[in-house]
Amino acid sequence: MDEFIQQFATGLSTGSLYAIIALGLVLIYRSTGVVNFAQGEMAMFMTFIAWSIWNWNENFWFAFFAVVIISFVFGALIEMIAIRPVETGPVLNPIIVTIGLVLVIDSLALRIWQGQPKPFPSPSAIFGVNLFKGSPLSIGPADISRTNVGVFFMALLIMFLIYLFFNHTRVGLAMRGTAQNRVAGSLVGIRVGRMLALGWGLSAMVGAIAGMLLAPTLFLSPTMMAGALLFAFAAAVLGGLDSPVGAIVGGLTMGVVQNMAGTYIGSNIDITVAFLVIIAILLVRPRGLFGRKAIQRV
Amino acid sequence: MVSAIVRPRTLFLAAALALLIVFPYLYKLPFFDLFLNNIRTFQATRFAIWLVVLLGLNLLTGYSGQISLGHAAFVTVGAYLGAIFMKDVGVPVFAAILAAALLTGLLGFLIGIPALRLSGPYLAIATLALIIVLPQVLKFDGVINGHHLAFMDIAERTGGVSGIQLAIPDKPHVPAIIANNFDMSRDQWLYYNCMAAAVIMTGIAWSITRSRMGRAFVALRDSEIGAQQMGVNVSLYKMSAFGLSSLYAGAGGALYFYEAAYVGPTSFDITLSLTLLVMIVLGGLASITGTIFAALIMTFKNEMTDYIVKYLPFGENIGIEQSRGALFGLLLILSIIFTPRGIAGNLHKQKEARPGGPRKNRLGALVARIGLTSREKEAEASSD
Repeated sequence: MDEFIQQFATGLSTGSLYAIIALGLVLIYRSTGVVNFAQGEMAMFMTFIAWSIWNWNENFWFAFFAVVIISFVFGALIEMIAIRPVETGPVLNPIIVTIGLVLVIDSLALRIWQGQPKPFPSPSAIFGVNLFKGSPLSIGPADISRTNVGVFFMALLIMFLIYLFFNHTRVGLAMRGTAQNRVAGSLVGIRVGRMLALGWGLSAMVGAIAGMLLAPTLFLSPTMMAGALLFAFAAAVLGGLDSPVGAIVGGLTMGVVQNMAGTYIGSNIDITVAFLVIIAILLVRPRGLFGRKAIQRV
Repeated sequence: MVSAIVRPRTLFLAAALALLIVFPYLYKLPFFDLFLNNIRTFQATRFAIWLVVLLGLNLLTGYSGQISLGHAAFVTVGAYLGAIFMKDVGVPVFAAILAAALLTGLLGFLIGIPALRLSGPYLAIATLALIIVLPQVLKFDGVINGHHLAFMDIAERTGGVSGIQLAIPDKPHVPAIIANNFDMSRDQWLYYNCMAAAVIMTGIAWSITRSRMGRAFVALRDSEIGAQQMGVNVSLYKMSAFGLSSLYAGAGGALYFYEAAYVGPTSFDITLSLTLLVMIVLGGLASITGTIFAALIMTFKNEMTDYIVKYLPFGENIGIEQSRGALFGLLLILSIIFTPRGIAGNLHKQKEARPGGPRKNRLGALVARIGLTSREKEAEASSD
């Protein structure tokens, strides 16, 4: 039983990693309807920028907040330059552009910072409190590393902020309107282009935060996000692509199932079992656990 | 004479076929030896294989509108099945490839059943799972919790991590009867086999898209509910689209194994799945001509980007390998922006009613004009 609880806890901490990446994917899907394959690459690139800033000024939070602002501008610019021209075309085109972005950003990062992994600092304490450092947190018989505890709470915080933003601000309402129906949105006076740029900016920001928090565990390299991103995709789809709560629940489920399958069935088949479970859930709920059903007008 | 008038298209097809037949020998002639060599024959073989694979994806995504990121998984399955039939079962190559294609098609048809419930990004990610999971399945040795289950030992058949490789004597070679009478190298023999398959498969795809089935695909892509109202059996046709596309992927995979004589669990990966999708969009969705362009880009993309890098003003300073990705990504984004309907979409000028007036597309319009016949140009000039 103790082993079960420990494995469950380990699963949760891996899952919180998937959850925080999935949040960025959900944010962009919810505000623009695009599945962003470049989410991981954008996050990685921003984390490298944070690393460069940190090398110049060794204050974690200075680099952190500088990059939060830079990533917002970066995301909005990408939307304006690369995505907007293809927005009116066939539905697949924005997705293809994000695949193009993956290639460009990947080789740029490789060119600037080279391939070997770099150590990335853990967040330092604010006002003497540090969620991310210290001895592992013990819950009953299980130990969870403090970094993962920090990541988990950060994911919850971001989820809560996204909820507040979308459901309790005028801009959030306008963004939901844009995502649902662009023509109707622009008819009631929403600046559709701005909303889309904002959506990209915000999701790049969430991505960058995820990248900076995960870099101490994953080690900073151009391929840092590649593995986790696929699981984050699965997590986002499992939770429902338009639901921030779903991203968290999906991420944690993904982590726990993968870990359980690895322990009790065999690590040689864990990913397969995890994906089988996810597909089984999707067959029962084709829009994910928390996704809203699409109602189609004829 | 039954018909004295030969349509331009028939002439064009006949010329293309003739070119394909003489192609592997062209490099021996003066003038052609300036830009052709034996490597081109090998590339043309790869082109034929990718064409078959891409045709399958375009039938599924372009015509029936279902996005699949798992196409590489079906290519892998086809390659493994082809390998097992050729090596372990020991049937003739032709039968092995056909059997691999049909079985992969059947598998795709069955996978199409759960896929019925999913659509859009949900379907895309679910199919992505296929290619993520497949390497682990191919390496699975049937050991669960320390118990070895013999009936689940997949690695025994697939060779596990090392994959399946044909030993030198088993490698495809020119049959004696041909080798004795013609001057034909192994490369040329492979070229003829793969190209013949590609031509036949292209013909089949072409007729499918113009049949009842092809029209049903397009109908359910444009409006599922509308198609249902017209009496199209949506479930059956969606599954058929999956089955057909997997059949093509399987055939392509088996051809790939036949040509390369090796397949391993990571021979085809997620990158290939994404690249295939990118290629059919670049070439043109729902178009056979577009798929041919797609296969051309797929075959020559590295060579193309390397060539450009070499002539960039600062190209010397950037490593070719490193800039390949960046340059290809950039070209990809630019071509999607300027030719949103792919190369073929701009060749066949589309005059459909679009909300918000005609599409503003400078380069596309230019390319489209080049593709017009003189009569169309006159008609356009007079209408202005």
